[in-house]
Amino acid sequence: MQNCIETNDLTKRFGKKLALKDFTLTIEQGGIHAIVGSNGAGKSTLFRLLLGVSTPTSGTARLLGADCRTLQPEIRGRVGYVNEEHTLPLWMKAKEITAHQRAFYPKWNQKTFESVIGYFDVDQNQKVAGLSRGERAGLNLSMALAQSPDLLILDEPTLGLDVVARQSFLEALMFTETEANTTIIYCSHQMEEIERVADRLIIMERGELKNNSSPDDFVERVSYWVAEIPSGLPDKGKIPGYLNARDIEGQCHILVADQGNDFGDFLKKNGATAVARNPVNLERAVNAFLTKNHSAPDSRA
Amino acid sequence: MSVSNVKIQIVTGDSRPIFKQIVDGVRMEIATGGLPVGTKLPSVRGLAMQLMINANTVAKAYNELTAQGLVEPRQGLGLFVSEPRQLLSEEEQQKRLKSAVDNLVNEVAYLDFGSEEILREVQKALTKLDGAPGTDDRD
Repeated sequence: MQNCIETNDLTKRFGKKLALKDFTLTIEQGGIHAIVGSNGAGKSTLFRLLLGVSTPTSGTARLLGADCRTLQPEIRGRVGYVNEEHTLPLWMKAKEITAHQRAFYPKWNQKTFESVIGYFDVDQNQKVAGLSRGERAGLNLSMALAQSPDLLILDEPTLGLDVVARQSFLEALMFTETEANTTIIYCSHQMEEIERVADRLIIMERGELKNNSSPDDFVERVSYWVAEIPSGLPDKGKIPGYLNARDIEGQCHILVADQGNDFGDFLKKNGATAVARNPVNLERAVNAFLTKNHSAPDSRA
Repeated sequence: MSVSNVKIQIVTGDSRPIFKQIVDGVRMEIATGGLPVGTKLPSVRGLAMQLMINANTVAKAYNELTAQGLVEPRQGLGLFVSEPRQLLSEEEQQKRLKSAVDNLVNEVAYLDFGSEEILREVQKALTKLDGAPGTDDRD
């Protein structure tokens, strides 16, 4: 089957800054793929390249099988995009925007539109300016899903929504019955949401791909160790899979990637008098990856 | 006609993945008689909506429960709680028993109960468990 997204050594440079570095990512058709990365990790750059509104410095990107540098309207029409701002023309009525959008998309599904908008309390005669943020998010999602897109990109869609709107949004996204096998790219910083919705977890850091697996497999990659090391923690560069470490009341709390139980032996060989392994949850595992190269208050600098 | 109600809760932020929480939760419900033999489980989509999670996660949990022999599919009808039977090897059972006992000992070690009292409570709980499937002592 054709991949939904395929990038190969994709690189984008802005002056001296590398926004994306040899980025190779394959996303298959179907499922919800969460993308996580700190601000500036290159997510927006990746989307701009994928949507063909920006050209790569080197490497290639393909969207629904087509080269992103020469996307035709036919391909663009199969992609939906919802951003965090939920920008819509303020002076238009909800029903006018809907009619306007409908005209653009040959695969528009009115039934889908109605069942999604049903999760939200949107008065069709209301002007966008008078809609709440949650209602605008709902209108946006309804229109995006009604397009029956093959690919739907959601860039932090629940940012700033209250609990009720957020719940409606997730429900509508996950449980609306559609005929299309839509691939959903879901950018979010909310680990709770990611745990609930994601089939796959993609982690980006400083323009590089750090993970592309199921969230459960990702958590398995990270282990958390607490050790009593009188001589202090060995040099960070010598710790295999090092992610981060903290000193809490004289004990070293260490997070490492891709290490088995023999990491305990490593610590003992390096002066640890007592070692214990703790369970890790998704949020801690993701944070460990994202903070890897960031400075943290640490006496050993 | 019994309603297939699965009384489980999932929490995010736990070190157990959600699918594992469902497996553990359903297994517990079956063990304590909340889901007697022959009860139909909610559909994948139904339980996903109840718990507000991705349906694939429920499907994964249901596969695991099926593999463990706790539930069985009936063609076109869904999943049903099966007659208890053992699919785990003798060795695996020994391992799990030991780990369960270790957990228990760990939890009760700091309480002010003597061994006798603890054993009596454990005995009581086990007796309840033996009598659970098919009986109505919970309803």
